[in-house]
Formats: sequence, C-alpha cells, structure tokens
Amino acid sequence: MTAARRGNLMTLALLAPSLLSAVLLLVIPILIVIAFSFAEQDTYGGARFGFTLTSYRELFQTIYLPIFTNSLQLAAVSTIVCLLVGYPIAYFIALRAGRYAGLLLALLLIPFWIDFIVRMSAWMVLLGRGGTINSALLGLGLIEQPIRMIGTYPAVLVGMLYAFLPTTVLPIHAALNGLDKRLLEAADDLGATPLQSFWRVTFPLSLPGVMAAILFVFVPAMGVYAIPVLLGGGKSIILGNLIVQLFLDFRNIPLGAAVSVVLLAISSVIIVCYMRVLRSVEEART
Amino acid sequence: MRKVLALYVPAATVVGYIFLFAPLIVLVVYAFNAGRSTVVWEGFSLAWFTEALRDRSLRAGLQVSVIVAIASAALATVIGASAALAVVKRPFAGKSLFSTLVIAPLVLPEIVLAVGLLVATVWTGIPLGYGTLIAGHVLVSIPFSFLIVRAAASGLDPRLDEAAADLGANGSQAFLRVTLPLLAPAILSAFLLCAVISFDNFVISTFVSGVGSTPLPIQIYAMLKTGLTPKINALGAMLIAVNVIVILVVMGRYLKTIRKQS
Amino acid sequence: MKNWRSLLTSVSLIAFASGASAAELNIYAWSGEVPQEIVDDFAKETGITVTFDTYDSNETMMAKLSAGASGYDLIEPSQYTVQVLAKQGLLQELDHAKIPNLGNLGAPFKEVSYDPGQKWSVPYIWGTTGFAYNEDCVKTPPTSWKVLWDPQYEGRIYMLDNMLAAYIAGLQVNGFKAGTTTPAEIEKATQSLIEQKKVLGGYNSTNFGDLVASGEACIVQGWNGNIAQVMATNPKVKYVVPDEGGSMWIDGFAIPKSAKNVEEAYRFIDYIMRPEVAAKAANLSKSATVIDKAKALLPKEVVENTAIYPPEDKLMKADFILDVGDATKLYQDGWTKVKTAQ
Repeated sequence: MTAARRGNLMTLALLAPSLLSAVLLLVIPILIVIAFSFAEQDTYGGARFGFTLTSYRELFQTIYLPIFTNSLQLAAVSTIVCLLVGYPIAYFIALRAGRYAGLLLALLLIPFWIDFIVRMSAWMVLLGRGGTINSALLGLGLIEQPIRMIGTYPAVLVGMLYAFLPTTVLPIHAALNGLDKRLLEAADDLGATPLQSFWRVTFPLSLPGVMAAILFVFVPAMGVYAIPVLLGGGKSIILGNLIVQLFLDFRNIPLGAAVSVVLLAISSVIIVCYMRVLRSVEEART
Repeated sequence: MRKVLALYVPAATVVGYIFLFAPLIVLVVYAFNAGRSTVVWEGFSLAWFTEALRDRSLRAGLQVSVIVAIASAALATVIGASAALAVVKRPFAGKSLFSTLVIAPLVLPEIVLAVGLLVATVWTGIPLGYGTLIAGHVLVSIPFSFLIVRAAASGLDPRLDEAAADLGANGSQAFLRVTLPLLAPAILSAFLLCAVISFDNFVISTFVSGVGSTPLPIQIYAMLKTGLTPKINALGAMLIAVNVIVILVVMGRYLKTIRKQS
Repeated sequence: MKNWRSLLTSVSLIAFASGASAAELNIYAWSGEVPQEIVDDFAKETGITVTFDTYDSNETMMAKLSAGASGYDLIEPSQYTVQVLAKQGLLQELDHAKIPNLGNLGAPFKEVSYDPGQKWSVPYIWGTTGFAYNEDCVKTPPTSWKVLWDPQYEGRIYMLDNMLAAYIAGLQVNGFKAGTTTPAEIEKATQSLIEQKKVLGGYNSTNFGDLVASGEACIVQGWNGNIAQVMATNPKVKYVVPDEGGSMWIDGFAIPKSAKNVEEAYRFIDYIMRPEVAAKAANLSKSATVIDKAKALLPKEVVENTAIYPPEDKLMKADFILDVGDATKLYQDGWTKVKTAQ
C-alpha cells in the first residue's frame, strides 16, 4: 500500500463517522420531512405518501400568517435585546476585565449547567405575583399592587435573554479578544475620542462576532416553544408551538412537516446571507 | 453623553451578571425552605433534599439523563473530534461544504431536527427509546465537539508531526504519542460540553423519548403539573453543586496541564 | 425505498437491541393518575419489572403510539381516545376471561357508550372538567362558565391549553352541548373563545393548579383530579362543576395492538381492579374510582370532597365527550384561529 493511499484511507476513516451521522440523523430525516409535507392526511392522524400541495395551500391561508410574523418579530426583538446586553459584557470581558476575564467567561456558563426547566421555573418564581420582585417592590413601597409579569411579552423577552445571552457574548468576545490592541492605541494617538475610536475601529472589527451572534440567536429563537408557554402564558402562538401542536396535538404530520420545511427554508436563507456577508467583510479587510 | 456611554459598559456587565445569577440564588435559598412555598420563607430545613432524593420519577429521570449524557457525549466527541482532525490535518475536496454539514445542527432550529427524527422513526418503524434519544442528542452535540477540537487542533504546531516522523514514528504512532495527548484537554472539554448539552436538552427529548427513557427535564416538566414545590429547588441546588465540583476538578486539571506545558 | 427502510430498521435494531429478560411491563399513563406506589406494589407482588411513563394529553400519547413501534403494553386513554384508537386499529380486543375482577366495576361503568361491551378498554377512574378559583381573589362563589369571561379578573384567568377542554367552556357558555358536531355551533364557540382572549392571562395545562393556588390566577379551567391535589394543601382553592354542565370523563386501560407483554398487561388491569388496590390508587391520586367496593373503603374526606365526587344533580347535567369524527377538522381550525387571534 502506498503512503498516499494509506493517507486517503486515513482521511476516509476520519470523515466516515461524521458523514454517516450527518446522513442518517440529518439529511435523511429532513428528506423524509420534505416528503411528508407533500403527503395526504387522513382523519385519524395517518399520512399517505403522494404528491399534494394541500398542506402548503393550507399553510398560506390567512390564519397562519400571524404565526409567521409573530415568530419573526419575537426572534428579531430577542436578538436586539441580547445584543444590547451581550455586547457590553463581551466588550468588558475582552478589553477591561484583565486577569478576571477567564473567571467572568466561566461564570457566564454556569447557569447553563442547570436544567432548562429548573431555570425557567426559577424565573416563574421571581416574576410571579407573590414572587421575589413583587415582594421587594411592595416592601420598598414603590408599588401598591403587585404587577402582573407572568403572561406578558416582557416576561417572554426575559426568558429569551436568559436562554441566549451566552450565545451572544461568546462570539462577540472571540472577535474582540482577537483585536490588536495597538490599533486602539494608534487611534488614541491620532487624537480620536473613545467614542470615535469605538465606532471607527473597535465596532467594525467586532462585526463578524456580532453577525455570528445574530445568527446564533435569531435562527434558534424562531423555533423556541417552552419559553412562551411558561413565561408568556401561551397566549400568542409562534412557529415552535405551532409545530408541536400540529405533530403532537393534531397529529397532522403533513401540515406539521410543511411548517417545518418553511422554517427550514427561512433559516437556510438567513444562513446563506450570513455566509455571503461574512465573506464580503473578510474580502474588504484583506 | 460620553459619560453615559462610559458607564454603560460596566453597568451593563454588572446588571447582566446579576440577571444571570439572581434566579439561581433565589432557587438555592428556597431549596432550604421548611414550607411548601417557593416564595414565602418559613424556616430552614433539609427536608426537600430528602424528598427530591426519594422521588422515584426524579431518580428514574436522572438515571436516564446520566446514561444518555455519557453515551451521547462519548459518541459525539469521537465523531466531532475525528471530523475536526480530518479538516485540520488532511487535504480533501469539499472541505468547507463538509464543515457546513457538520455545524448545520447548531444553526438550524432544534425543533426542525426533532421533527425530522420523529418523522424518520414513524417512517422506519424504529422504536422510540434510548436509541432515538441518544441519536438525537448526538446530532445536536457534534457541532460543539467539532468546533472545540478543531480550534485546538489548528493551534498545534505542524512541525510536531514532522519531528515525530523524523524520529521514525509512523502515522499512527505520531498520532497516539504526540497529537492525542496534546488534544486531550480539548477532547475532555468537548466531552463535558456535549454531556451538558445532552443533560439540558428538552426539545429533542420531547419528541423522541420512549419506553422507560423519559429524561430528567421531561420529568421535571411533568412535575410542574402537580405544583412547584421546593423539591425542584432542591434538585436544582444539587445539580448546581455537582456541576461546580465537576468544573473545579476539570479546571484544576486543566491549569495543571497548562503549567506543565509552560 | 422499501430496501432503505428495512436497512435502516435492521441497522437500528442491531445498534439498539436490548437483551431479552424476565417478565416486563411498559405502562404509559396520564401523569398523576396512577400513583407510583401502586406500580411499586404490583412489581413487588408479581416480580414483573415495570417501566412507567406518563403523558399529559391524550393527543401526545396517540402521537407516540403511532410513531414507530411505541413499545408500550398498557395505555390509559380517555373515552373519546378509545374510539379513535380503536378506529385506527391500534388496540387489541380484550379477553374478559383474563380479568376476573371485571365484575367489581360499578353499575354505571359496566356499559359505556364509547365502548359497548368493553371490547377495547376497562374504565379506571372518572372525573370532571370544570374550573377552580382562589377565595382570596374571587369573593362571591361563581357557578357559571361566564366567570371565565369576566373582565373584572382580566389577566388572571387561565384556560386549559387543550382544544377539546377549551371548547367545553366555549360551547356550553353559549348553551350548546360539548362535543357537538354542528359547524355553526363550533363557529359560535370559536368566536366566544377569541373574545375571551382579551381577559385571559393565558392557556395552561401544565401548572394550572399552581397558578390558582399561588394567586397568580384568580380562576383556572381545570380537571378535578389535579385541582383536588392542590386543594389538599391549599384550602383557599375551590373547585366548581359549572351550572352549564361541564363535562365528565372516564380514563381506562387498553392494550395496544403492538404490545409484547400482553399477559403482564392483563395482570396489571386485574390487579388495579381489586377493591383495596383501587381504593389506595383513588386516595393517592385524589380521583373517583369506578369500583363500588373500593369507594366503601375510602376515607370520609375523599368521598365527601365535592371536587372528587360532585353532587348527583351536577353529574346528570355534565356532557360526555365522544369522538367527533370529521368535525375534528372544524375544531382544529377553530382552535388555531383562537390561538392566533391577537
């Protein structure tokens, strides 16, 4: 056996497990979902393969449109909130924290070592009528009646921020951390105010991180479902809830599959845009 | 204006960390509550810890979660690490396409992946259970092990391989004696991260858990129905304690390796 | 395509096959209805290894049952679900000879409309769908579904996040029968439920008991069993079967066609129908038993609890939801409209 052949075999051996798992667990299931989205539904929750556009036609009826706009809006607002809180944290850790940076990063991840439902139930306790926040505000005399927080939109945003804050901070931190600090000093020397040097130097250089953060928050946020149910009272339904409802409550596999395909399509478009923009940013820099 | 902005960064950081830890502190404090309430303090007690430990469904859920976390993390680490080594060390066509395919589960909405797995079991008749649960968790964990090991592997000095070859080591010897030990910390952190991801997973588990394979998060979700008691807090507090110990041990070992290397 | 499918199946079977072992039983039941203690007692007495999983809606159970080979030997569907599963051909016909304790059933449960001759299922417990309120917040005891539309409690009313349950209130508040198949009536109910959204705090079928007990909600729609469990520790919570009727449900045991441990499933059904076992189960789960001799063994506070055993006259008026057949689609479209309304 020649060295080159052995090398090829080695490469194949290294690639095989991930290719196999990607095909078996990702590609084939998604193809089956696509196939089911064109299948026919019978009354008792069965599905017959065929080619019908019934599910897609039903999906683009007016009753489903608000679900799409609700989801996109929630994902967008959550992303903005995450960036507003996450960017300064990433900035602080990367440029100001000095030797505490490692500790702060580790602390950022600790809440994620506890079960998701336990974390959300902790928020349900904090935000409840008789909860910690209301008791504190009442005790301080700032309010006279407890405020209703569970079941409101801000409560959902709190849950989203809690779920996605580390995903926002980490990529931005990575981008800022790789920043050449001499650039900032140079800007200082040239008489730039801190604000100017931030807008002209730091921010543009952190953009790839910001874009990665947007991608990692926006796309998964379109599919969440437990947060709106537990903290938002389940009053407004978004794509994640719709998919769960169609699959597990209505047992309408074709329609559920069609919704999944549309969600997949939206996500793919966003991912492709991200890669295009990233490439142009990188090209502009070199 | 400038002052406001100068304050914004540290202020947001402080607020952000309070935001992250306030719920956890409240959670842990009320785990020691003597009463049934998770809001009203009625005295100190450890009763809820024994309650949580005695709860059959929680124990069963914990057992499932631990088995699935270890199995799926081991699989995901092997798969992700080999993919990472291939990408860093081997020339092959379609590398960026391959990387995209491996990372895809990280960026696609989890619910779509879950639906895909469920529909695949409907179509193939594969029974829902440990197998499907582990498969689902492997799917969402691979991107993380891949990214961690890739970052570590691309930081390795390529001359090390050459040096090993000069000293007469063949490919597999060089890999086992040089590359693998250097990557060990990264592989360990990949394993731990994958285990955490599996332990925390809710969405995939909802769809693909089956007979006797209801993991902890789903059990806790079912418990919400009979009411939030400090039992959940006690469980959360114990999970925090275990995690902090694991982190400390790993960090300790990690620091030792770094010190040795430098 | 067929080849692929069998290849995948065999791959998965090789990968995930578990070793064969002694007697086993896989039970899939409503959360909170079959107490863990009963399962443990049964396992101890028979030496059967029992795996016990729970669900919190009939629909979830049906979805899992039709996905792949579910692996469950015993399920606990509600009345209309028995009909649907039987029509889908997912259940086994029961062999009454294997359930000697069948004779213990109380008179009303010997012949049930959804399953003539007890061909597919055996009743286990029964209860009602009504609402609960917290006395701290609701001063005059309400008796009608209308209170769930009362703007006075805006933001503090929760409905069950369950299509059929929500429609019980939506239909009865308009004077219609729950489980109707008349399109116009369903449409009217849909309008009422949409209108109701303005005053709702939300939809919840997970922790509704907790919401009303903590005072987060003033009024919640709910199933009596879960509410009775909350009432046991919080006397301020009261349960009401509304004047319009509410609904009565029966959950029973059935054996899926795909079950592998059929003998063990029969043994469990027979076991839980022993009067002393049924009494213990009813007492622990705070629900009403279908076994007359068991009712006699229950403590007074359970039998006299109107949340568990509602007064006879209330029960006479309660609707009994059966499979609505093709009207399912009307309910589903309506429910989607309700959930998406702003």
